[in-house]
Amino acid sequence: MTDPIVLLQILWTGTVTAASLVLLTVAFSLTQKVTGLWNFAQAGFMGVAFYTMLFVLNDLALPLWVALAAGAALTAGIAVFTEAFGLDTLRARRSGNLTFFIFTLISAELIIYVLTLLFGTEPQTLFPSIMSPIHIVGGVAISDWDLTAVGITVVMLTLLSLFLNRTKEGQFLVAVADNAKLAELYGISAQRAYRVTAIIAAIFITAAMYLVGARAGVTPNSPMELILSAVIGTLLGGMGRVFMGGLATVILALLQSYSVLVIASRWQNLLLYGFLFITILLFPRGMHLPRLRTRRAPAPEPSV
Amino acid sequence: MEYILTILVMISIFVILSASYNLVIGYGGLATVAHPIFYALGAYTTGLLSVHTDLWPPLCLLAGGLVAVVASVLLAASALRVSGDYLLIASLGFQLGLLQVIRNFEFTGGPGGLSGIPGTITGAARTPAYLLICGGLAVLTVAFVAWIVRGPYGRAITAMRDEELAFSTLGRNAMSMKIAIFAIGCGIAGISGGLYAYYFQYVSPEQFDVLQSAALLTMVVLGGMGTSMGPVVGAAILLAVPQAITFLELPPNIMAPMQGIIFTTLVLAFMFLRPAGLVGGAGRGKLPAALAGHGTEAP
Amino acid sequence: MTEILRVEAMYKRFGGIVVADNIHLTIAAGEILGLIGPNGAGKTSLFNLISGVVRPDAGRIYLQGTPIDGQPLYRRARTGIARTWQNMLLFTTMSVLENLLIAPRAYPGESIFRLLLAPAGVRAAEEEARTRAMQILARMDLTSAANAMVTDLPFGHQKLIGLARTLMNDGALLLLDEPMAGVEGAAYETMQRVVREEAASGRAVCVVEHNVSFIKDLCTTAIFMANGKILESGSVEKLLGSKVLTDLYFGT
Repeated sequence: MTDPIVLLQILWTGTVTAASLVLLTVAFSLTQKVTGLWNFAQAGFMGVAFYTMLFVLNDLALPLWVALAAGAALTAGIAVFTEAFGLDTLRARRSGNLTFFIFTLISAELIIYVLTLLFGTEPQTLFPSIMSPIHIVGGVAISDWDLTAVGITVVMLTLLSLFLNRTKEGQFLVAVADNAKLAELYGISAQRAYRVTAIIAAIFITAAMYLVGARAGVTPNSPMELILSAVIGTLLGGMGRVFMGGLATVILALLQSYSVLVIASRWQNLLLYGFLFITILLFPRGMHLPRLRTRRAPAPEPSV
Repeated sequence: MEYILTILVMISIFVILSASYNLVIGYGGLATVAHPIFYALGAYTTGLLSVHTDLWPPLCLLAGGLVAVVASVLLAASALRVSGDYLLIASLGFQLGLLQVIRNFEFTGGPGGLSGIPGTITGAARTPAYLLICGGLAVLTVAFVAWIVRGPYGRAITAMRDEELAFSTLGRNAMSMKIAIFAIGCGIAGISGGLYAYYFQYVSPEQFDVLQSAALLTMVVLGGMGTSMGPVVGAAILLAVPQAITFLELPPNIMAPMQGIIFTTLVLAFMFLRPAGLVGGAGRGKLPAALAGHGTEAP
Repeated sequence: MTEILRVEAMYKRFGGIVVADNIHLTIAAGEILGLIGPNGAGKTSLFNLISGVVRPDAGRIYLQGTPIDGQPLYRRARTGIARTWQNMLLFTTMSVLENLLIAPRAYPGESIFRLLLAPAGVRAAEEEARTRAMQILARMDLTSAANAMVTDLPFGHQKLIGLARTLMNDGALLLLDEPMAGVEGAAYETMQRVVREEAASGRAVCVVEHNVSFIKDLCTTAIFMANGKILESGSVEKLLGSKVLTDLYFGT
């Protein structure tokens, strides 16, 4: 008989751990939604965000807000650069999916190698101490940091939702996501939408890496594992369903957390991959009924 | 001398790997990056069989290839049901997931890897003998791939890549052709994995990770996708260049990422400036068919 | 007259548009049926339904008496349906001859097993296909173009090659989607002649065309479609003589 308090604790801690992954999934899923691309270069962006913040905090000894701003700015800069000089060129050449994949993966690898060269492979955290004050609420331990993490995530998701639904720019993104060619006919610039998406993704990634890096050691290779969670969340949530992807990530994290009650902890990671297999085999279009599928090469339109 | 011969053995194994990979992505146009996992399946199957049984080595090799074929058919059949693009994600997930399984099983040696694979050939003539075998198989593989893509089969593959809808409407089963190509490519990779296991007598999960995927991609992109000699050139470069860099005598913690930077930069440069690769024909801007978008995909 | 194709109660809807609304039609051997109607009428959709590119929501299709609704796209060619496309869909990186060699129904060389185990059979089939391809090219006065890249040919010849490709599949039904669009002069004459020859040899032919003189010259019967429905069917004279139809079609 497991103590309900323990279950609640796992529920809380699991949700908090998921916070950063949710932000990463949203970044990845939003990019996939608008551009139709599985942008693995985001693994590289994650590294850029973290190490910029690390450098500003530790080497330049500047305050946190400068670090966050610098991280977001540099990450956004690289993201837009990739868009403008890499992806746009490939689009103009009508390259196939494999080319895009090679480009994004290899770019991520390049960034990771550069970061390894500059910062080495030792795990590093943003702050020397990862402890924070704890409050006990109804038997469950809740730390200040937990609240910060959840707070940041909720605020950012809300802002994104408002942006997509209430602002013109956001609506443009949705239009391009639906049908880029059609949107262009109405005067909406797909290119601009892609770049705006890149910037939004960069901001989410920076926030995520702040949450990750404040609590655990990060190495240049960590992003590769992180992006896998983002991919699985995106798949499970369904393509085009950004917030569902976030929810899927939370559920996955909770399942992983609860699994510790039943299986040895070293198999927890395997659970993630198990889910990936199951998703691919049984729910390739996401666990919920899809509305629209975003495909890069549209099936031949029935010309009547 | 021994050192150079060992390099040549490695190059031979990599030629087999990259030629089979080229068959899958360069000629078949199937987007996948999980080739190393089939290499791994072959290596581990062969390794485990020779450690735990007395099975004749060539049979162990074949068993490795067979396991790779079965796994690849299962993967392709499930993923291609959705779409060709889906194979990319599915294969990546398959690769990483299977590696995780291998890392967590004592049976496969866990993260430390499987060692103590019995050497089948011993003595001073070992490396030359292996060079003969691996080199011979490398030549065979390149020739086999070149032969397949000439004649009616190659014609069918090209047509499928050009206009899959028209291809299907002419009565050809695109899905089974893709699965067949995938299976052949992955089976060959499995056998090369077995060769690797026998020669080095040690296999570990790191050797088959995303890094290897990137290395294979580098070989094929640099050499030239969809050409028969491309993979050979690519393999030679990929293995020779790091050796050349070693002579610069940089400290190891600089050298490893440095190699990585050189390769990734080369791939990106080629991708944008000379997508046809070193062996491929035209220069700037002309994409080999595999890198270009598909005309139509049958629903 | 032997019935080759029969379509019964075909219904298909895409989103809010009904592209096929209770379609019934039959085509007999030797018949050249013209499908006419304004853009958006559902003519190409009907071809897509018959050839298997799209699955109907309801209805049945019979080829020479056998129901083919269960057959996936790639099987229908083997059963005997060959079609051309509005945008041709020729294989652009191959030569004219190669485009034809990929088209016959039996193709042992495209199976790895047969390639490895029965090379003689593969060679024989290849020879036979080559001979037939050259014969078809000869019928169209295009023998000299055999080794040219299809993309190097003038437009009219490309369309002829599209037709030639379907002739390599010597099945019972030929579906031609706007074969004459953009074609004139000698190529036009050749196409007419070839289609007539095919029908005479016992094939059933269905042609979607906007070119009225082509319909008048070539087709024996015609169907007028609009908004997914068949409005009129019968002989060409009857349809083209109907004021209602000509108004709808040519508008005012």
